[in-house]
Amino acid sequence: MDAKTHIGYFVKNNLVLVTIMILTTATALIEPKFLTVANLGNLMNQFGPLSFVALGMTLAIIGGFIDLSVAGIVSLCAVFTISMIDVLGQGGALIAGLMAGAAMGLLNAFIVVSCGALTQAKALFITYGLSAVYSAAALLYTDGATQHMSHLTSRTDLFRAVGSGRAGFIPASFLLFIVIMALLHIFLVRTQTGREICLTGANITAADLSGIPVKRRITLVFVLSGMLSAFGAIVLFSRITTASPLLGANYETNAILAVVVGGTSLAGGRGSVVRTMLGVMLVILLSNCLNLLGVSTYLQSVCKGAVLIIAIWLDRRRAK
Amino acid sequence: MDKQLSDVILSVEHVSKTFPGVKALDDVSLQVGRGVVHGIVGENGAGKSTLMKILSGVYTKDAGTVVFDGQTIEKTTPMESLRRGLSIIYQEFSLIPSMTVGENIFLGRFKEAGGMRGTHQKAKELLEQIGSSIHTHSRVSELSTSEKQMVEIAKALSFRSKLIIMDEPSSSLTEEELAKLGDIINQMRSEGISILYISHKLDEIFEYCDFVTVMRDGHVIDTRPASELDRKEMVGMMVGRTIENEYPERPRVVGTPLMKVEHLTTNKLKDISFTLNRGEILGFVGLVGAGRTEIVRAIYGADKVKRKEIRIGGETAKITSPRDGKKYGMAFVPEDRKQQGLVLPFSVESNISMASLKKLKKGVFLSPDKERKMADGRISGLLIKTPSPTSAIVNLSGGNQQKCIIGRWLETEPKILIMDEPTRGIDVGAKYEIYMLMKKVVEAGGSIILISSELPEVLNMSNRVLTIADGRITGEFDPEKVSAQEIMNRAIG
Amino acid sequence: MSVVTKMVKEIEKRKALTAILLMLFMMLFFDTRFYTAYNLLDMLNSAAILAMLAFGVTIVIICGGCDFSIGSMMSLAGIITIKLMDHMPLGIAIAAAVACGALVGFINGFLVVKQKTEPFIITLGMGMLLKGIAQQITDAHPVPAKNLSYMKIANGKLLFGIPNLIIIMVVMLLLFYYILRYTSFGRNCYAVGGDYNVASQSGIRAEKIKWSAFVICGAMAAFCGVLLSSKLNTGSSIYGDSTALSVNCGCVVGGTSFAGGVGGIPQSFIGLLAIQVLENCMNMLGINAYVQQVCEGVIILLILWFDNYTQKRKEEAV
Repeated sequence: MDAKTHIGYFVKNNLVLVTIMILTTATALIEPKFLTVANLGNLMNQFGPLSFVALGMTLAIIGGFIDLSVAGIVSLCAVFTISMIDVLGQGGALIAGLMAGAAMGLLNAFIVVSCGALTQAKALFITYGLSAVYSAAALLYTDGATQHMSHLTSRTDLFRAVGSGRAGFIPASFLLFIVIMALLHIFLVRTQTGREICLTGANITAADLSGIPVKRRITLVFVLSGMLSAFGAIVLFSRITTASPLLGANYETNAILAVVVGGTSLAGGRGSVVRTMLGVMLVILLSNCLNLLGVSTYLQSVCKGAVLIIAIWLDRRRAK
Repeated sequence: MDKQLSDVILSVEHVSKTFPGVKALDDVSLQVGRGVVHGIVGENGAGKSTLMKILSGVYTKDAGTVVFDGQTIEKTTPMESLRRGLSIIYQEFSLIPSMTVGENIFLGRFKEAGGMRGTHQKAKELLEQIGSSIHTHSRVSELSTSEKQMVEIAKALSFRSKLIIMDEPSSSLTEEELAKLGDIINQMRSEGISILYISHKLDEIFEYCDFVTVMRDGHVIDTRPASELDRKEMVGMMVGRTIENEYPERPRVVGTPLMKVEHLTTNKLKDISFTLNRGEILGFVGLVGAGRTEIVRAIYGADKVKRKEIRIGGETAKITSPRDGKKYGMAFVPEDRKQQGLVLPFSVESNISMASLKKLKKGVFLSPDKERKMADGRISGLLIKTPSPTSAIVNLSGGNQQKCIIGRWLETEPKILIMDEPTRGIDVGAKYEIYMLMKKVVEAGGSIILISSELPEVLNMSNRVLTIADGRITGEFDPEKVSAQEIMNRAIG
Repeated sequence: MSVVTKMVKEIEKRKALTAILLMLFMMLFFDTRFYTAYNLLDMLNSAAILAMLAFGVTIVIICGGCDFSIGSMMSLAGIITIKLMDHMPLGIAIAAAVACGALVGFINGFLVVKQKTEPFIITLGMGMLLKGIAQQITDAHPVPAKNLSYMKIANGKLLFGIPNLIIIMVVMLLLFYYILRYTSFGRNCYAVGGDYNVASQSGIRAEKIKWSAFVICGAMAAFCGVLLSSKLNTGSSIYGDSTALSVNCGCVVGGTSFAGGVGGIPQSFIGLLAIQVLENCMNMLGINAYVQQVCEGVIILLILWFDNYTQKRKEEAV
């Protein structure tokens, strides 16, 4: 192999890393301050709500599904949790919020499994419909009004710490992200249940015939995805200190974008949460770069849509 | 061919076709006369369907010539063959269930048929021509099997076919429907249409056919007028000789009853009851679609059933999912390796370990060392040829993939190993190794249920054979005492 | 079969129609303005655009696909027309918008048919992209149409005082009904959705048919966008946010199945009408808008559940 094909091979196999390097270099060239410690902290700070939702989406996709209900879960969990702070105190509200996310995930799984929508395509419709229900429930719950943390009487320092606290220059949410990602990685790679989720996602028939409890694994995947979305919601409203019932809009597409761009295949079974971290990073760098270039937020969403379509297309071509 | 046909519609000369690892057709020659009903018989896998698909244009032949109606045909497509006047009615009908009868007959020819009105009018005429009163506006999904067949025949006639190939046309027809089919065949013959009649059911072959060609292992054994053949001779030609040393000597020690299955009933299976003994290989013989796979899937808990009672070692076993089946010591090597057995994007080692992940646990975690050791053990024990345990299983040959699946199940130390077509698409050497594995399993006290379409394989490996036809057990034999012909006879039903 | 089981079967088959009749009957007992000529006509008028969207989507669903980019396509097409109107004749502006829709459909079709990607996720991504474009053009502000004659397209009453929208809808209904029912293209759509392999083996150019379906659907969505912006005399990027789900599911309510090959234009029309009547009833009864949204979501979910469950039952029949 000569040097040229060698490089081509590396680029092909590490497309994400290469793109990240290119984006970093480009950004650094446009904005020399980009490579400072302060900005590094900023960059980490951007690993916010989306990164948690994307972790949940990664689990769902590895398990053979795409969970489109995350947008609704984020909206509903945000307004629910914030309203619980005065009722249950901040610790109780945090737990209640996560539980609500898990409960919604459980409902997703129940509906998907009970009507036998066990293929990715069929479950897409169901989870999308569920997202509409959750979003509407969020509106109903708040009567359409945005909830403000500053209007609460209880203490909210826990939430504020989660949202915008820092240890040194490292944001707390980033630390949490790293910890959860590491745990999930170990869960998927090193535990029996995690392995069974991967096998179910890759070939549900073979997994079933090998005695793996596929329906329970699917349920677990949806529950975890719901919980992680709830966590994303908590980070989100803690950071902006308000929760609108429309908070979660577009989270599903952005999360899928991060997962697919990271290199986890939509075919199921293969992928990793570490790749998703790279995917999130790429999305952040892309936004940064576009911001620096003065591209409007609207055009940025056009770019994201285009990148999503192209990433799915490439994923499909690789599968062929 | 010793007998010259005066007017030949189809002539196949020296046609061969090879698939990776298998020679499906080897120098096949065949002539079909105009206005003649010509039967083709042979076991599963004898090459009948490959020949058919070459004629229709689904496959391309490797060598040889095909002449249809005076035209030499090189490459063709199913649609071209249809337009040329060669129709095929497959066992799995090529009809669209959600559409009406009329539209199915003129599928893709809406304009030609003259729009909606023309379609239904012409369809009605065609159906009347074969004496069928099916309403052309009914949906195909609402029709019975025999009605669907009528629609297929009407579709073939709509192309003014000169030759109609029928693949197992009689399967799942009642006596009455069968008689009607006979009438239609006779009618078409009298109109000068040739029919290539492919069937397992020898009675029908004798009843309808003028000539019979017997195929085996991709060869044409002989073609003769039906009147010059008798049933016994034909079965003899289908089964052929068996080469004894392809198989290891079968173990003879059979123990006490291990599993009793009673009253197993589904839509397809009718009150199946049998016993499996310890240390026994029990063979299931039957034609494709007879219900062999359905029986084992139902026992293993993979399919829903109307009724079943299973007792394992005297205890009543409640099995409603494959997981339950596994708990009771069953293991299942499925028929469709790629779809149901392998997890293709995964490595050899994770394919081997997937049914016994519990054994890999070290605390709460899976131990990669244990997994590697497990895989290494199976790879060397089963002589699996793979670059490394971490290679993707998709890159292995069929035989090695199958050994991985068997290895997966041996890890669970099963009491009952169910093997559905374990040697399909596997080369001879690997086959022998799989037979040796089966022998080892029963010698260690396990029991095996073996399903295979290769009669010699079942007969040489099994201690006992059950014949299955139409969802029923039709007989029980000791393969050492009874001839292959007799067993085949019973399996044909 | 007893009379009762026969009736149950018939109701199951025509569940959308039954639901409409049930709601109409129910409304007799409430003292609302429901049964006024004004309300009924208004209801039909607001159903018109959704119904027309559904006609395009129906073809795609019958071919075994689905299109979730129609909402954004609709809002974008309205904006394009209004923006172009100032620089060229109205007719050309409208034609350009419809051409854009066809182009988007062409791209959707390419990705789904040629590249074999999952239509749901691809069209969802496409919707996001189109919405971004719409926002970019308008800076996320509504754009009013300056040309007053534009408004007349949707709001005028050309014949016997019937709103133009309803007339256009009826014409489209007949046109699409004719295409699906009586043309070779239409029948081939059913074949492709019913069984892709059998269809292509029967000499039907399945790829081309399915691809065309996406193009038609995109063009139709754009046309509906023109009508909507004419009706409201504004174009805005927020129109059509929830349209895709309700239109796609409205088709299923009517009896067009996501499995493909089943359904038709009248069914989809009835399905969409059912959703519209439900909305109107709830409005008339003064039900909170958010409760309405939840109800609609739950109903859509139930329908999806049944669509899947019947398939599962068919596959699993013991």
